[in-house]
Parts: sequence; structure tokens; C-alpha cells
Amino acid sequence: MGQGQSQFTEEELQDYEDLTYFTKKEVLYAHQKFKALAPEKVGHNKNAKLPMAKVLQYPELRVNPFRDRICKVFSSSNDGDCTFEDFLDMMSVLSENAPKAVKAEHAFRIFDFDGDDMIGVSDLREVIERLCGPELKLSDSEIQQLVQNVLEEADLDDDGALSFAEFEHIIDKSSDFCHSFRIRL
Amino acid sequence: MSGGNSKNKVRSKRQEGWEEAGGEFYQELYPGGEQELFENLQRADAAKLATLLPSKQARNTTTVKRVRSQNERRQSTYARTTQSRDIHLSMLPDLSENLSNEERTWEEIMQIKAMPVPMNQKRDIKARLQNATKLRLQGLEQLQWRQRKVWHRFSIRFTELVGKLELWQTSLREIEGKFGTGVVSYFVFLRWLLFLNLGISTFVIVFLILPTVLLVEVDYECDDFAENSTICCSQAYLRRNLTEFNVVVSFIQGTGWMERTILFYGVYSDQMYTYYINSLWRTQMFYNMPLSYILVPISWALFSLIAIVKTAAKGFKERLVESEGQFYKYCNLVFGGWDFCIHNDKSSKIKHKALYNEIKGCLEEERFKEEKQLRTRESQIMLHLKRLLIHIVVFVILIASGILIYVIFNHSMDKLNEEQNSHLTNEFVNDTEKSLPLRQYNESSYSFGQLQNTLLEFLPFITIVVLNIIVPEIFSYLIKFENYMPANTIIIALLRTVLLRLSSLAVLLSQIYMQITDPDRVKCASFYEEFRMECWETYVGQQLYKLILTDFALQIVMTFIINLPRAFIARHSNSRCLKIIGTQDFYLPKHVLDIVYIQTIIWMGSFFCPFLPIIGTIFCFLIFYVKKFTCLTNCTPSPIVYKASKSKSLFMSVLLLGFVISIIPVAYSVAEITPSWNCGPFRGFGTVWEFVVDTFEGFPFVVREIVFLLGTSTFAVPAFAFLLFFLYYYWAVAAANRHMVEVLKNQLVLEGHDKQFLLNRLSAFIRQHQKRCERRNRASFADDDSSVQHSSR
Repeated sequence: MGQGQSQFTEEELQDYEDLTYFTKKEVLYAHQKFKALAPEKVGHNKNAKLPMAKVLQYPELRVNPFRDRICKVFSSSNDGDCTFEDFLDMMSVLSENAPKAVKAEHAFRIFDFDGDDMIGVSDLREVIERLCGPELKLSDSEIQQLVQNVLEEADLDDDGALSFAEFEHIIDKSSDFCHSFRIRL
Repeated sequence: MSGGNSKNKVRSKRQEGWEEAGGEFYQELYPGGEQELFENLQRADAAKLATLLPSKQARNTTTVKRVRSQNERRQSTYARTTQSRDIHLSMLPDLSENLSNEERTWEEIMQIKAMPVPMNQKRDIKARLQNATKLRLQGLEQLQWRQRKVWHRFSIRFTELVGKLELWQTSLREIEGKFGTGVVSYFVFLRWLLFLNLGISTFVIVFLILPTVLLVEVDYECDDFAENSTICCSQAYLRRNLTEFNVVVSFIQGTGWMERTILFYGVYSDQMYTYYINSLWRTQMFYNMPLSYILVPISWALFSLIAIVKTAAKGFKERLVESEGQFYKYCNLVFGGWDFCIHNDKSSKIKHKALYNEIKGCLEEERFKEEKQLRTRESQIMLHLKRLLIHIVVFVILIASGILIYVIFNHSMDKLNEEQNSHLTNEFVNDTEKSLPLRQYNESSYSFGQLQNTLLEFLPFITIVVLNIIVPEIFSYLIKFENYMPANTIIIALLRTVLLRLSSLAVLLSQIYMQITDPDRVKCASFYEEFRMECWETYVGQQLYKLILTDFALQIVMTFIINLPRAFIARHSNSRCLKIIGTQDFYLPKHVLDIVYIQTIIWMGSFFCPFLPIIGTIFCFLIFYVKKFTCLTNCTPSPIVYKASKSKSLFMSVLLLGFVISIIPVAYSVAEITPSWNCGPFRGFGTVWEFVVDTFEGFPFVVREIVFLLGTSTFAVPAFAFLLFFLYYYWAVAAANRHMVEVLKNQLVLEGHDKQFLLNRLSAFIRQHQKRCERRNRASFADDDSSVQHSSR
């Protein structure tokens, strides 16, 4: 950790501690992990911007079906490339200490593929297809049935899409979401 | 013609007026971007209109809500662009213009982390908040704020420290990465049990074991041997020469030298220890051993109960919220389905597959339900018959295994008693003749007999444990024929297995009970005789000690000697048949039962064998590694999706059941059965409880009166009524809340419909308006043209 410590001033660490759900030690640990993705580049510039492909080598992200969405949501340049600060934001939201509401907010953006601030039918289809993985395919009618069921459950105002309020309503009642939407640092 | 025209004009004017009013309305609502918004509105087509609604931008408002402030939204210094991320920022209150005090600022800084904006913007906000002029807190407030800050910092450091000390972090992470959150919650549960046992052990060590080790008992001499003198009986029991056994055999049986250690009930003193602490003061101090021996079990029982209930209540609350939204099954599946913690390629593939199966299963279930209604009467009757038959088979198996344990236990007891009698006579011969050659001869022939004895001692327990392993397999095979819903299948299988385990324990205990209450039992043996059940509490302790050892040993054997080769076969063979034999899923309910069973034995035996919690702590520690090995090396991830919250509440309810089951026999023995005459802290009392009553009689008058008052109806009836009243009150509140939720939900739906309706009307209106605008424009162009022509003329 000696290497990592020299890269941050006390002030920066204090900032990070105040602005994320991490303690200083954890921030440094996160930086180590980030550095492991591209040792040279990050060693040179601690806040280097790594391309999305590089960030996706992080073990949990590598196998995650929503990996590109996660990167895009947290990337400050909106193209999926992440600086350390973006990475720290990501880990902070996905950490154990982040409250449900914060998690729900980001999850909504991750699931909102087309970015229209609604999770519509096409978004739901995409989510389901990604959940089942590249090898297994549900039949079209099954997906349709499932989308129908989801909308029946959650779409309170019958507009054929989930708004954030509706999404938050679901998440509030789901005790498993907090367990599953989490990456241990 | 002209009249009609003017009318039209009036109408259009009115509409323009409405529009202006609308514009103002929007301006009020959206200071800042009003111009743009209004333009947007005019440009918008119906679909886009919907995205402009405040509710669709709720993500901003939720954040604002959390930043606790009554500041009105001010126009931000940031340029407003259409990019949504910047909207967030501009919607946030600009706090710099509002004079707030230091504490508020600090609170707000702490809230920044919840905002969904990138780090550099967060930092800007923080800097802005910090640099803003703020009121200094004065006096007491300043002090309080300082305190809060220090406390906050301290709690961060503290959690950091605890996090570092947290046991098995890396193991848990590894398991989580491979098996997901459901399975990891099992290991967290195991860790929780370890800490529970550690807590119980501390009670036992501090209040029972340490005093026994440190304090010195007063020796009373037995003058002449009488049958009902507790001093003489215990002297005969405790000072008798021990039967020589192999050290290892004694160790695993808890007999021989082990019997006289502080491991078991027998050696605990019935005296009030007297001691001096010389350096401090010269007064006499007392330690009432029997009292502490009864108070310690009571306190750890309460401790366990509180711990279970507290943990269960948390899970129960979650379940309750969830069960209310039972219809959110699909949403949970879709949005909470993926475990973000999975980091292993193979497991991710399996997880994909599991989710696929789950989705299919859910859809299937729906179809199944529909089919069920369509099912013909004959097939329904057939199914019910089949289920009934299997229920009967299960019942028969349960009874059969009960009988088997009964027979084997009796058989081994008879054999052992015979053995002991012959052995006793042998020893007498030895003692009297003291002929060395014979003794040596005896010892060599002994080893075989000893082995046999040990086997006999362990036979009932091995039977129990083996039954515990084999019978659930049969059950899980049988249940396939019953066509239950997947969720019910797990519960029914679990219930049957619990029944099996408990019934085998019940048979064992009832056998022991019969032996204890046998009127022919020798209660006080003379110095030269020896009997198996002189000190029955120790005997019970020994039995449970053996049971827990057997269980643990068999788990290790199963894991490393049977399941490991199976896993090896599965991994390295291509034959299909061998693969079926070898592959093992991590079937959660079975593993839960394994550890709950051990915990049940610990609770049951701790009164008779105070060391049992300590042994249990060690076992829990080791079992974690055994199970981790099972999980990571032997098993493949299960094709069943285990939900973390569901399994947690399952663990706790099974544990609670185990707790109740294990406390009942102990409570009965404390209240009803006469304790041994020759050993233990309660020599000479009719029951253990009698001792408690006796001690209570010795309390000061006031205390006694108060406790008696608590027992009388003058206190109990009002208290009961009071409790009922509260219960009713909370029930009523809950009912009202449920009703309120229902009403609000309906309202939400209605609002949604209203909104749809209004949006449609608005978009229709806008379209109309646009058309008119175009027409007007065209007209004004024409006017312009004509005026130009006019002027040129």
C-alpha cells in the first residue's frame, strides 16, 4: 500500500472519504485494484482514463451481463471509458454501505438501455436476453409473456413502460436486490 | 360572414390567453429552463411530451429530497443543456446563497455522496459548500456539533477496524463469486452460529469453569457409610479408582478419566466457595456454585433466544414486505436476478443457466396452474392417491428408523451391562489375588473387548447419523413422484428431514429417560462397586458428547472419503453413468440441517456437559472449512436459484425450532427429575428447581414480596389486559396501514390514467395549435405580401 499512499495527498483522500461510501483505506485498496487493470498507465497517472475494454477486465465486471451498461452509466465522458474517480464511484454505489435508493437510481440507468428515462418493452427484452446469456435463448413468445408479466406487476399507470417511480417501488419491496446488486471490493 | 369571423377571432384570442396562462404556469414551475421548456412543448409531439413530465424525471427529485433543505430551487450558475446529467446538477439546490450554519453544511456535505453525479462535480459541490459563508455555531451547539463530528469519524474508524477483524472475508468472497448470494448467506449463518457459541462459551467459562478451577473446595470426611448421605456417596463416586481404559478410548467416549474432569456435570461442586482476596480486603467472599450452575444455563438460553429472535425479526420484516408484494415475483427475477458479485466464468455460465431455468420454471408454473384447473378428475384423484401413498411410505420409514434406533440402543446397552458385570468380577479377582501374570493376560485380551465395547458404545449414534444421511436421500427420491410446486418441494423435503432427525433424537432421549427413572437404578454405590449410571447427568452428557463427536466425524468422512472421490470421478470421467454418480449439487437445506442439528445437540447437552458449547465453537470453526471444501471442491453450483432473503428466514425458523425442541427436555429434567445423590451441584435436592426455590426463600423479604406480587392475579390480570390492549392497538395500526397502502395504490393507478388522459388532450391541443400557427403564419405572410405591395404602390 506504500506505493498507493504516495499517489494521493491526505486532502484528496479526505475528499474521497467524504464523497463515497468508502473509508480511506478502502479508497486506497480500490486504487490498487484499479491499478492492477493497467499497472503502467495508472502508475504514471493515478487518475488515468482507461478504455472500457480495460475496465471490463475487472473480474466481477467481466462476467456481468450488463457490463457495458455499467461502464457507460458511471463513465464521466459517457462513452464507457473510466477514470479512477469513475471507478471509485462505481464501487461506492455497488458497495455494501450504499443505501437502497442510491443503488436503485443507478440500476435504473443501467437497465434503461435506450436512455429515454423509462424502462420500456425493448429495454425489458434486452435485460431478459442478457440474463439468460448468449447460449440459451428463450423463445419469442416466452419473452413476450415474461415482459407482459413484469409490466402487469409493476406498471401501475398502464403506460407500457416503467418510470423511475415505479422501478423504485419494486426495488423498495425487493429484499434481494440489495444483496445481489453489490460487489465486494 | 363578418360576424362569424369576429367570433372566430374571439375564440382564438381566448385560446391564446389560455396558452399564455399555461406559459406562465410552466414558468412558475420551471424557473430556469422555462423558455426552453415552453419551446419544447410547442415542438413536442405526443410521445416526447411524456418524457417531460416531472414524474419521469423523478430521479432528480429524489436526490433533491434527500438533500434536506427548504431552499427554493434557484437558477443554477451552470449552463443548462439538454444532457440529462447536467439537469441533475442544475436541479440541485444552490446552497451557496443560503446562509446556513456549520452543522447544516457538514450534513449536506455528507449527503453529497448519494447524488448520481460524477466525482468532479461532487467535488465542486463540496468545495462550493465549504467556501460559502456560513454562520458559526455558538456555545453548546458548537460543542454538540463537534461531538457529532468526532463520533462520526470514530464510527468510521471503528467499522474499518471491525471489517479488518471480520472472520473469513476472503473465503466468503470466493464462495460468493462462485455460488452467489444465496449460498454465501449460509456461510454467514454458520459464522453467526460460531459467534453465538462463542458467546455461550464465555458465559460458561467465566461463571462455571474458572471458579471450579481456581477456587478450592472444602473437604468433608465421610464418617460412616450411609445410603442417603450425599457426602459419603459423592466421596465413593469421586474418589473411586478409575477403571483403566485406553486414553484415546476414554477421550472419545467421555468415560474413564474424562468422566472426572470439568467436562461433565458430575464434578461441579455443591458448595458455596469461600475465598479471600488478600491484597484487596480481608473479608470473606462467597461464590455460590449451585446457583451459578443454574443461572448460567438460564442466561445463555435467554441470550440465544434473544439473538435468534432479533436476527429472525429482521428477516421476517423483509419477508413480510415481500409477501405483500407477492406479485413482484417476475420483477425480482428480472431486476434482482443477477448476482453482481459473481466473478468466475464457469459460475456465470451456470448462473445464466439457473436464471434461464428459473424463468422457464416460473412460466411453466403459471401454465401448470392453468392446467391444474383443467385437470381431469381421474388424474387428480390419482395424484392425490400417489401423494397419500408416499406420505404413508415416509411415515413408515420414520417409524422404522425410530424402532431401529430403539432396538440397537437397547441391544448395545444390554451387551454393555453384561460386559461390565463380567469385567467387574474380573477386576475383583485382580484386586484380591494381585497376581501379575493374570493381570497381564487380562490386559492383552482386553484390547479386543475394549474395541468391541467402544463399538457398542457408539453403535446407537452411528446408527442415528447414518440414518440421517441415507434416509433424506430416499425422501428426495420419493418426492419426485409427488409433483409439488418447486417452492413447496424444498419445504416438504426439509420438513420430513427435520422430522427424521428430531424423532431419532427423541427416541434416544426417551430411552435414556427410561433408564434414569428406572427404580432399580443404583443411586449411591459403595466404594468398590461401579455402575454405568451412578451420576445420570454425566451419563446424559456423555451420550450427547458422543453423538456430537460421531456426527462431526461422519461429516468429515462423508466429505473427504466419500464425496471427494465422487467429485473426482465426475470431473475426470466421460462415462455418463459415472457422471451421474459423481456430480453433487450444493443442496442448501441439507447443509443447513447439518449445522442446526449440531447446534440443537449443543443446547440440549450444555446443562449436562458444560464444555459442549466450547466444543461446539471449535466444531463450528472447523465445519466452516469442511463445508467450504464441500462447496468449492466437491460440488457444482446448484441449478436451483437460492434467494438470500428467503434462505435466511428459512435458517432462522429451523434454528428456532431446534432451540425449542432442545430446551424442552432440559427444562423438564430441571423441573422434574431428581438430580444424582453422589455428584453435581444439586446433591440432595428433590429437583434442581427445588434448589432455586430454596435459594429464593433466602432472599430478603421485600424482594420475595415483590416477586410474589408479580405472580398474583392483582398484577397478572392488568398486565395481561395491558399487553392485549397494546397488541390490539398495533394490530389495528397495521390493518389501517395496509388499507392505506391499498388506497394509495389505487390512487396511483387513477392518477396514472388521469395523466394519460391529460397528455392525450394536451398533445391533441398542441397539434391543433401548431396547425393554426402554420395557417396564421401563412396568412401573415400573405398579409405582409399585400402590405408590401400596398406600400410599393
